[in-house]
Amino acid sequence: MTEHQERIDLDAPLSGDFQAVVRLIIGGIAERVDFAFEEIDDLQLAVERLLAEAGQIGSVHLSFEVGEDSIRTRVGPLSERAIAEALHDGEVQPGHLTLRRILQTVVDSFGVEKSADGRVVVRLEKLKGVP
Amino acid sequence: MLLRRYHQGGDTGAREELIQRHLPLVRSLARRYAGRGEALEDIEQVGAIGLIKAIDRFELERDVSLATYATPNVVGEIKRHFRDKGWAIRVPRALQELNASMSGAIERLTGKLGRSPSIAEIADELKTTPEEVLEAMEVGSAYSTVSLSSGPGGEEELDPLETIGDEDVEFERSEHRAALEPALGRLAPREREILRMRFEEGLPQTQIAYRIGLSQMHVSRLIRKSLSSMREELLRTPPGTSH
Repeated sequence: MTEHQERIDLDAPLSGDFQAVVRLIIGGIAERVDFAFEEIDDLQLAVERLLAEAGQIGSVHLSFEVGEDSIRTRVGPLSERAIAEALHDGEVQPGHLTLRRILQTVVDSFGVEKSADGRVVVRLEKLKGVP
Repeated sequence: MLLRRYHQGGDTGAREELIQRHLPLVRSLARRYAGRGEALEDIEQVGAIGLIKAIDRFELERDVSLATYATPNVVGEIKRHFRDKGWAIRVPRALQELNASMSGAIERLTGKLGRSPSIAEIADELKTTPEEVLEAMEVGSAYSTVSLSSGPGGEEELDPLETIGDEDVEFERSEHRAALEPALGRLAPREREILRMRFEEGLPQTQIAYRIGLSQMHVSRLIRKSLSSMREELLRTPPGTSH
């Protein structure tokens, strides 16, 4: 994994109207790393599902650390449900589809962190060219 | 007064004159929606329907002019028309066309390269810029994303760290709400199968697209839409009733 050299920070309204804008920005950042179409779509989906957990009122902070072949994304603050799910490391039963399962599928790793201001955020790591 | 002659006397000539007098208003409003994939004449015709409805529904006791009353009717009719056509109101035609040609380009490039193409490769194939491709990706994919947190019970003002410490009780509820199985059962069989292949088998979209016989972009849209509608379904299902 490469060192992350560039960082982009974004405060976005949680209103549904702005979700497409967030997707567009993720696409623009991922394009700079030369992510494949499908990899961009995966990262957009992961962020979109996390934003769905953040509610629809107020705003959310997103940060993107860009490396040569990876993007580290932090999204937060999120609701306790999203965090509880992301933390849970038990086996997901067949036929069940949880946020954890979705994140496991579309990003290479994820975790929960405490940001500098004490809020809880979810970290996503997406690498280029990993099947 | 023409409105009185029409509504009280049934004078259809007065109605016709009202229509003619207010057609410039319709044209003016229709021009705002030009260049979005519909001929201006068609938009004007749709707007005229809104005008006629406004004239027919106008109540004489209203203390507003017909132009004021008709404007939202005309605009509403035009917007409904665009909605029915399936396009978002502000999507320029060039982006609609680029979106339409992207699916084919992605399929061609995936076959040629043996992997999902990059945005730069798609742009090169379509002789456009990566930014235009990214914008076109968003076209036609808009739908509302529903928050689980905005459901029954609302957004609790809990400190997330406290919640982590309180995992047992909170997590049980979270896990229950997050287990999308009941909502999964209400999806169409094709959508259900796509989600199963993506999140249980772990197949990439390209392979799912090949198996199902859809484009990769279509598979992507169906996955996103299915996950959102499952969340909506969960919001309608009170905890404890879905298992």
